[in-house]
Amino acid sequence: MERNLIVILLTALSLLFSPLSSPPARAQSEGGLVLSAGADKKIDRKLSIGAEAAFRTRNDFRTVDRWSGSLSASYKFNKWLKADAAYTLLYGNNRESITYNYDTNGVVTGYNNWRPSYWNTRHRLNASLTADYKFSNNLHFSLRERWQYTYRPEKTVTRWDFDNSQWEDKVRAGKGKNQLRSRLQVEYDKKRATLKPYASMELYNSWAIEKIRYTVGTDIKLTNQHSFDVFYRYQNVKNIDEDDYDPDMHYVGVGYKFKF
Amino acid sequence: MITTIIKKLFPACLLCCGIAAALTACVNDDTDFSAYTNEQGTTTSNDTIRILYSGTTATVSGDSRGVVSVIGADVTVNDPTSTSTMVLVLSGTTPDGSLIVYRSLKYEVVLNGVSITNADGPAINNQCGKAFHLTLADGTVNTLTDGTAYAEQSYDQKGTLFSEGQIYVEGTGTLNVNGNSKNGIASDDYITFRSGTVYVNVAATGSNGVKVNDGFTIEGGTLNIDVKADGARGIRNEARTTIAGGNTTITTSGGCKIENTDGIVDTTSCAGIKSDSLFVMTAGTLTITSTGDGGKGINCSENIELSGGTMVVTTTGDNVMSKPKALKSDTGIIVSGGSLTATVSKSWACDNGTESDEPADRITIVGTPVTQTLTKKLVKVEF
Repeated sequence: MERNLIVILLTALSLLFSPLSSPPARAQSEGGLVLSAGADKKIDRKLSIGAEAAFRTRNDFRTVDRWSGSLSASYKFNKWLKADAAYTLLYGNNRESITYNYDTNGVVTGYNNWRPSYWNTRHRLNASLTADYKFSNNLHFSLRERWQYTYRPEKTVTRWDFDNSQWEDKVRAGKGKNQLRSRLQVEYDKKRATLKPYASMELYNSWAIEKIRYTVGTDIKLTNQHSFDVFYRYQNVKNIDEDDYDPDMHYVGVGYKFKF
Repeated sequence: MITTIIKKLFPACLLCCGIAAALTACVNDDTDFSAYTNEQGTTTSNDTIRILYSGTTATVSGDSRGVVSVIGADVTVNDPTSTSTMVLVLSGTTPDGSLIVYRSLKYEVVLNGVSITNADGPAINNQCGKAFHLTLADGTVNTLTDGTAYAEQSYDQKGTLFSEGQIYVEGTGTLNVNGNSKNGIASDDYITFRSGTVYVNVAATGSNGVKVNDGFTIEGGTLNIDVKADGARGIRNEARTTIAGGNTTITTSGGCKIENTDGIVDTTSCAGIKSDSLFVMTAGTLTITSTGDGGKGINCSENIELSGGTMVVTTTGDNVMSKPKALKSDTGIIVSGGSLTATVSKSWACDNGTESDEPADRITIVGTPVTQTLTKKLVKVEF
């Protein structure tokens, strides 16, 4: 038991402090909260369905980042291979955007446009395959490969034009985005234990690595029906435009799940 | 022991977390720019430059900073670093002249009884990416005409009146735009018609009446568009189209344009309005007539939504190369107010993407209209 916990801890620390986690040049980060509540229903031994609602904050817990609701289905082919598919409706608050004017030497000479934050709806579909490998009695490694498609419908937003000193409308065209998410997870899963600690690293890839998530947490099984998930997550953002403000995030999360 | 504590205390802790999150997460994280946005419309100085066209020459007055240069009747305003506002007042007539403006801030052009014909390019070419206010002076009639072939240039010139930035048409005068080579009016940003009377006539050698990239809005005024080329559109808009007032009349008379690229034949039919995004009408009048083969009234990639105003769309063309439709949408035609009359002589009056033979399936009516006629070739709904 002790040896296994040490393995988990070392794995988590190595993931957290690996070279990939070095902060980007902007070196800015914020804190956020992730709350979720969901329910699962087992249809038969292999098939189960679920629903979940989630809430996320940013700006050191002070600003609502998004609400979401999802429906999912999961099919277990065998002991080590599982497939999932889900639809998620996202209602998110898009961060403000500020662009600047530059002189011929690339030096900022002033503001160009400011688009305040705004809310919009997005639709997301994902499908994934998860392979599980039992390393020892209670130690499991799993690799999840998830394709994710997110569609943002067209939206007309207002922005302030500093040169013209006026508000103007700007149409943000509808746009779809494909991403491949690869998650490697290790977890300590002892039968009848209340706590099931885990650590994971997940890469978001859309022709280039866009962000990396490092998570340590534990599932807390209160009864056969009620369980919680508590975690800390560090989200390292990569390859963003200079004008975009998309900071690294430190998330604290709590999730509740009810099993029918 | 620890397990028991966790099981008893955890739900209570979670509830507290949820309440705390809901109470604290209510702050906007936007930068405070109120010092800028509260000063809307204030200016520090104002340059008014008058340009008088006369035959093959032009005379400039009020150019205190020396930003205007003239060759013949071709006028260039080169003012890229100015921080003051600028108003250009144009008058007179030239059979071979133009105006091109380079600037980084918004400005205004007042058409004060001017007629500009440019045989080898746009009559007015705005190379400023910011707001371009085009004011039609009260009681004046103004005319802009291009030639049948443009001279090659390093900058864009997409129509008789072309702008890199947004165009706002204002004032109470009249403007005639004649297109012989490309579009009548074109903008790489968006266009808003607020007032004035504008006639856009594009010959069979030209292209669209109005071509716009980022959105088109009519708030008021009178807009008349007549295009004659095959495959031409009265208004060709790559973003949202909004009609919230004014009186708009569009006529297309060309047939289908057939293009053969590497053995692939592509057919483009005419349309009064071709919109790549939502079409919304809330007020005003819109009359579209399309007479060519396969001509459409409104051809929209997303919903066509009518909630107010009067829309009359008629297509009389044949269906040899393409099917004429009064209203064609890829996603839906929704009428919740106003008045719609859609008539075709061939094919369907309304096409919302379904294959149904029931006219009622091809349009969505929200509410209870006063009159309602739904047939294949005539759809009339009045609230």
